[in-house]
Amino acid sequence: MGKFLYFLTYYKKSLLTLLLILIFVWSLFSVQWNADLLHPGGGVTTKQIFQALLAPDLSPEILILALESTWITLVYAVAGMSIAIILAFFFGILASGVLSTSRFNLFAVSGFFRGILGFTRAIHELVWAWLFVAAIGLSPFAAVFALGIPYGGILGKIFADMLNDIPEEPIKALETAGASKLQTLLYGYLPLVRANIISYVMYRFECSVRSSAIMSFVGLGGLGYQIQLSLSDLQYDEVWTFLFFLIALVVLIDAWSNLLRKRMVL
Amino acid sequence: MSESIIKMNNIAKHFERKIALSSLSFIINKGEHIALIGPSGAGKSTLLNILAGITNADSGEYLLDGKSIVNYQKRNIRSRKIGVIRQQFDLIASLPVIQNVLAGKLGEWGFFKSLISLLFPIEKETAARALNQVGLLDKMYEQTSRLSGGEQQRVALARLLVQNPEVILADEPVASLDPARAEDILSLMTELVKDKKQTLIVSLHSVEYAKKYFSRIIALRDGEIFFDLPSEHVTDSLLANLYALKGEAKDG
Repeated sequence: MGKFLYFLTYYKKSLLTLLLILIFVWSLFSVQWNADLLHPGGGVTTKQIFQALLAPDLSPEILILALESTWITLVYAVAGMSIAIILAFFFGILASGVLSTSRFNLFAVSGFFRGILGFTRAIHELVWAWLFVAAIGLSPFAAVFALGIPYGGILGKIFADMLNDIPEEPIKALETAGASKLQTLLYGYLPLVRANIISYVMYRFECSVRSSAIMSFVGLGGLGYQIQLSLSDLQYDEVWTFLFFLIALVVLIDAWSNLLRKRMVL
Repeated sequence: MSESIIKMNNIAKHFERKIALSSLSFIINKGEHIALIGPSGAGKSTLLNILAGITNADSGEYLLDGKSIVNYQKRNIRSRKIGVIRQQFDLIASLPVIQNVLAGKLGEWGFFKSLISLLFPIEKETAARALNQVGLLDKMYEQTSRLSGGEQQRVALARLLVQNPEVILADEPVASLDPARAEDILSLMTELVKDKKQTLIVSLHSVEYAKKYFSRIIALRDGEIFFDLPSEHVTDSLLANLYALKGEAKDG
């Protein structure tokens, strides 16, 4: 018995891996492996989609439409991120509790704001979009708020965690030099998280462009909306044109964020 | 007879059930330069933290300039009396040197003044004077993380010059520097405080530096004062006993 227990504890990780593999294999049996698994016309459609990939629609009207939609998508993303950054800045600082003076204060305030941040990011931006479209109709505000609120929740949480992870020596040193809580924020916490938070915001900005494209599926205009329209018309060549614009947008933002990061290396 | 600035009377401190300091008493006069030595775990850092007002003693009386330390709870009042320097982790690496130096003014500045200064440094001359004294005037706008360890410690020193407290406490300020840089910092430190008649209390690992740069040495062992003597009265046999491992003979 003792030997068996020893075996269990010693090989705990390997046993767990084995168990997970078995569960995966078992899950394969619940799939019905017959002809119904694939759509009968699927092969043809796949071929059409790949052919369109090689010959996207580059006619001037489509290019202009793609450019306009890309612009709308980018504008929604930028506006949404601006709201998110403002929310994250204030809520993140309050949620981190770095300004709290007493223990009770720390638990009450940071708990409350961490709760709010959790609530806003628990709901996906697409759901927020539905809610806002239902409430204020198909206006750009719906898209901007739907992006800004959950992204503010995510950014705020990361910001608060970064503030909490800062080494305490430099902050203590500022305090002994006579700095108040707010001054330690200005001269300690914020400069210390600056590089990390900027690089994370840039990554989130990239995500927000994709989200903004997806969100326009609910009818808010932008690349996603055009992709949806073209898909309904089975115009795969147009779909690819729009997708290439989306990819280009994401790649450009990534290049910009790399440029920024290089300049900020500590 | 010079007047006293620090009076410690039966100061004791426990961490959980371990005794960190047991009934320490000593008096320090204005302008004295004191080295605090002793084996690891003797309570040097705890004593410095109590002196700095960061930690409170469990019992005993600590008078700073004639008033109990509890009268110095407000940070910006305390910072005029006492300044602390540790190792170079004390600086904000991502800020320019000038901001790290001007941080010594935060106790005097309000929120908006410090916010403006972060964007457009005010009292540049104060910072320049301090940096000139530590020989780093040309690095004023450099990012602090680009400086070497010894240079960063000089920046920390410049911050203290700007803060200009009456008592300077240094907790192993040269622990992570090579011997040449360490001596450089210690001689600079003792020179600068001499000009302003500040009181200096430094904890050190090196007995050699303690004897060379300080006039009085307080040795701690197991939370008690092992000896408190002028540097020239510290003998090798005293030092051998101070650093002797437990179980080794304590006489001799």
